[in-house]
Parts: sequence; structure tokens; C-alpha cells
Amino acid sequence: MAAETDESGPTRETRRSGPLVAITRWMENLGETGFAYLLLTPVFVLLGAIALYPLLRTLELSLYTNIIGVGEPEFVGLDHYVSLFTGASDPWLPGTSAFLWGDVTLSSTFPFIHVEGLLRSALAVTLIFTLVSVFFETIIGFGQALVLDQEFRGRSWVRVAIIIPWAIPIVIQGMIFYLMFHPSTGFATEYLGAWGIVAETNTLNDPFSSLLIVTVADIWKTSAFMALLILAGLQSIDRSLYDVARVAGASRWQQFKLITFPLILPTLGVAILFRTIDAMRVYGLIDSVSSCTVVPSLSCMVVATFGSQRGLASAIAFVTAIIIGIAVLGVIYQQYKEGI
Amino acid sequence: MAAETPTETQPRTDETEREGPLARWTQGVISDPDRRKLLYRALFYVITLFFLVTTLFPFYWLLVLALTPNSLILAGDWDLPFLRPQGFNPEAFVEVFQQIPFHLYVFNSFVLATATTIIVIVIASLAGYVFGRLSFPGRGPLMLAILMVSYFPPAAFLIPLFEAFTGNVIVIPFLGIPLFEPPRLVNTPGSMVLPFSALFLPLSIFILTTFYAQIPDGLEDAARVEGTTRLGALFRVIMPLSAPGVATAAVLTFIAVYNEYFFSSIMALGNEPQQWSPLVGGLLQYQSLYSTEFNLMAAASIVGVLPVVILVVVAQERIVSGLTAGALKE
Repeated sequence: MAAETDESGPTRETRRSGPLVAITRWMENLGETGFAYLLLTPVFVLLGAIALYPLLRTLELSLYTNIIGVGEPEFVGLDHYVSLFTGASDPWLPGTSAFLWGDVTLSSTFPFIHVEGLLRSALAVTLIFTLVSVFFETIIGFGQALVLDQEFRGRSWVRVAIIIPWAIPIVIQGMIFYLMFHPSTGFATEYLGAWGIVAETNTLNDPFSSLLIVTVADIWKTSAFMALLILAGLQSIDRSLYDVARVAGASRWQQFKLITFPLILPTLGVAILFRTIDAMRVYGLIDSVSSCTVVPSLSCMVVATFGSQRGLASAIAFVTAIIIGIAVLGVIYQQYKEGI
Repeated sequence: MAAETPTETQPRTDETEREGPLARWTQGVISDPDRRKLLYRALFYVITLFFLVTTLFPFYWLLVLALTPNSLILAGDWDLPFLRPQGFNPEAFVEVFQQIPFHLYVFNSFVLATATTIIVIVIASLAGYVFGRLSFPGRGPLMLAILMVSYFPPAAFLIPLFEAFTGNVIVIPFLGIPLFEPPRLVNTPGSMVLPFSALFLPLSIFILTTFYAQIPDGLEDAARVEGTTRLGALFRVIMPLSAPGVATAAVLTFIAVYNEYFFSSIMALGNEPQQWSPLVGGLLQYQSLYSTEFNLMAAASIVGVLPVVILVVVAQERIVSGLTAGALKE
């Protein structure tokens, strides 16, 4: 420890030496680039082990058929991907689910498009859920942001109330809507069932009703997230623009149309992409409100099959990753344009 | 307007006489700025009230269910449209801990969330320092790569992670070279803390990058002249000066872990507290094993929601600034 032979020349910072001091000195003498990459090592290790490795391994596993408990994995190439879209793998998927719809029919009787087949398809359910929930979240979030943009007494309490749904655990969000529509407790089925919005009996086992409930639950929880992002955009708008518009005699609607909306559009785009990426992962909400056999989403299918047919489950997981990856590219492009 | 299709031959002046009270009122609002202001004000309050009711009603519904004795819930006489508790039974909030050890699930959630938060803050601080204060080749592409990873669905990571955490040998993908045999991590905190850390790390990196970049260089230089190392300057000068940013990242990570469903429900193989099953496990236990104890489900939900509600009320400024900084990066 107390060796006095300090040979390292001009950088005589301390008289002690030892492994710790040696490491510190080595780090201090690193160049900026070397130091940067050294400090990023934990990030690389963690993301490499928990994200990059699994992603590549999922791709590899999806090329093999691997039925748990039956023999050795066997190389099948892209067969799983093909079978997902031809329906050949349907027996592995839970319930009556198929990956692509088989029997969407059009007819002249109400409601014109019969969606039973569509609602058994994991791909279709995920996309419908994403489109509908993000659409309404954007509109409601915009409304909430416009309210929060005003000055009024109690504004911060209103903001808390609007954020709270965003902050609650998914399982509790699911529980709330489960209890609202459960046949023994729910008060909502009676009303909505009478109007024909949800099935009057066995609501949580009816694909259409369950998808609707899950979508509403998601809108309830995540509109606040949209509202906060849009609010940040609204507050970054230069207020003097409105003064100019008022002097020029613009009505409130014109101010909104000509100033607010164009200036908020980039923020809105980013927010929508974020929500789209997030909505396409939906799993927990479905699992706790209804079940994966009733409302099959992509993530649901992965969880439901990975205990029996690991190769097929990997293929579904990879398809999910690709679809989300396309939306991610949108975000990356946006960030790249802004110059990170 | 009420005046519908006046025939072309009639003179314009007749129009006002034929209008009903609604049309007259509309006319007044359009022409009179004061009345217009009043209308906007009223509309604003109606909309605000609507948002408040829709966001808070589900919590009221939980409270109604929790306070109503279970026998009356099953009777289902809700006295609509003014939903209110049938009876008053606060014992549900005691029973919820007796039926299953619900406090242990909440404890597990706290432990997992705290552990993840500490790991994320330390690693993200290093990365935030690098991205916020150093310039080096590859900075932009690296940030984009980290951003990209955080968006991939957990389902795409699940299968290999599950294999690794159940103790199977890790092999290099496509080469088939076995690396090592990992310890069996399922049913331990590690199987959840590791994926959580990776998933929620990028958001904290972006928040801390923004905050650390704002500390003037002079302060760091002063600390370096005093004889601290670069790392010392980060942890003794930059981090304390960016305390709001660190708090923001910590609060958001904590909430994200506390709310997580996917890995929480899968990596604890059963929903037992001994297997480190968090809040998710406790509530699913009620949903599956005690599927008629509706008042207890509601009471458990309220207990589970309280910590985040308190956190949101206390830290709302931090949450708002963090979410917007993380997503929009100004």
C-alpha cells in the first residue's frame, strides 16, 4: 500500500498507490473518446445482454421448430412465418384465433362488415386497437391540453387529476374495467348492453365487447400522456403571435387554425408515434380485463405459445418487433432531422 | 339559425322577426364580446368538469365497491344513475391483507422498483455525462441506437431471456458457440430488475443528458482544479447541481417499474410472494383464486394505487417536465 516508488512522472496526484489509484490514474489519462466509451460500457453490457442478444436469438429460434418436450429443435427456415399467414399454425394459437382473418364478409345487412373473423386475428386486433386508441387519445389529449393551457384557479389540481390515470399500474387499470363489466358486479353492462354497444351477457368473453372495453380503458389511461406532450408544445408557442393575430382581427377559431395547429403539428406527430409504438405492445391490459383467447394481440400470442411451441412464438415475437420497428424508424428519422 | 330557407322574394328585414329565442341569443353572442366571453367561460368549465369526472369516476367506483359488503355487491342493486356505496364496510381494507399477504406483494414491488431505480440512475448518470458533456465520434448514432432499443416490444426479448433465466446455456446466435451457463434467475428479483433496467434506462439517459448538459463548464473545471477526478466531479458537483433532473428520472423509473405488467407476471413463475411476485401477482391472485371477493379486489386496487397517487401529487412538476423532456427533448 505505502510503496513510495511513484514513477509516473508529472501526474503526482497522491503519494499512495495500489490498484484503485492505478485505475483512477489510468482513467484520468484517457482521452475524451476513450473516457466516453469507458463510461458507456455499463450501458452497452446491459442493453447488449437484455435487448440485442435476445433480439438476435429470437430471430434464430424462429427458424427452428421447437415443441417443448418433444425431441430436438429442427431447422425449418421461414416456415413459421409462412404458416402464420396461411393459417397452418392456427392450431397452436389459443382459442379460435388465427393470425390473418379468414372470413371477413361484406353484406347489405347491418353492420355491413362482419368482423368476427377479423377479431380472431392477432394482427388485425393489434392494429385496430392501436389505430382506434391512438386516434381518440390524440383528440381527448388535445382537449385536455387546451384546458390545461388556460390560467385558472386550481389548475395544478386539475392537472394532477388528469395525470393520475397515466400513473396507475396496468393491472389496476385492468381490474377497474374488469369490475365494471363483470356479470356479478358491473353496472355498465346493463346500460350499454341495452343500447347494443356491448354484449348483454358474458360481456368479457365476447370478442367485440372486450376489444371495445380494452380500447376505452387504454384511452382513459393514456390520454393524459398525450395531453402532457401537447401541452408542452402549446406552451412553447410564442404568445406574442396571438397578440398580433388579435390586433389583426382574427377570431379564436382563426387563431387556432393559423397559429396553434401548424405550430403544434411536429409535436403532435412525435406524440402520435410514441403512443403508436406503445399501443402495439398491448398485453397486460388484455390479460387482466379479458383474456388472450378472447382478444388476441401480438404480444398475447407470444406469451400464449412460448410454453408449447417456442419456434412459432419466436416468429410471432419477431413479426411484432418488425411491425413496431417500422414505427420506430419514423421516430428515429424525426430525431435525426432535429439533429440529436 | 332558426330561420330556415327564407324565400328569395322576401326582404331581408323580415328575417330577424321570424327568429326564435335561440337564434336571438346566438345573434347576441356573436355580436356582443362580453356575452361571447361568458359563453367561452361556461363552455370551458363544462369541458373541464367533463374531464375531471371521466378521469376520476373509475376511482370512485373502486371506493364504492370496496366499501359495499360483498353480499350486497352480488345482489347488484346499484341505485343508478347515482352510484353510491350500499352500506359501509371499511373492514375490507383489513381483510385484504388477511386473505392473502397483500403487503408482501406491495413490499416486493417497492424492492424491485427501488433496486431498478438505483441501477438506472447510476448507469444513466454515466451515460448522461458522456452524451451531455463530452464530444466524441459516434455520439449521434449511439444515442439513436439506445433510443431504438427502448422502443422494441418486451415480447421480442421474452423468449431468450426466459431461457437464460431458467438456467439454459447462453449460445452466440447463429454461430452455436456455447458461452456460459447462467444462474437460475426466475423467481428472484434479478429476473425482473435486469429487464426493467434495460427497458427504462433510455428514458433516464435522455432526461439526464438534457440536465447535465446545462451545468456550466466552469463549475466542473473548478472542481477539477480542486483535485477531484472526472468521475468525482460528476458525482460530487454535476449530479447534486442537477438534483431536479435526477429526481425526475428516479420518479419516472420508479413509477414505470411499479406499473409494469409483462415481465412482472411472467418471471415470477407462480403468483406467490415468496417467488418475488410483485403487485401484479397479488391482484391476479385475487382475480383467479378469490374470484367472488369483489370488495377485496377493489380494496386491493385502492391500496395498490395509493403509493403512485401520493407520488404524483408530490412530484407532479417533475413528472410533467420529465415526460416532456424525455419525449420531445426541447
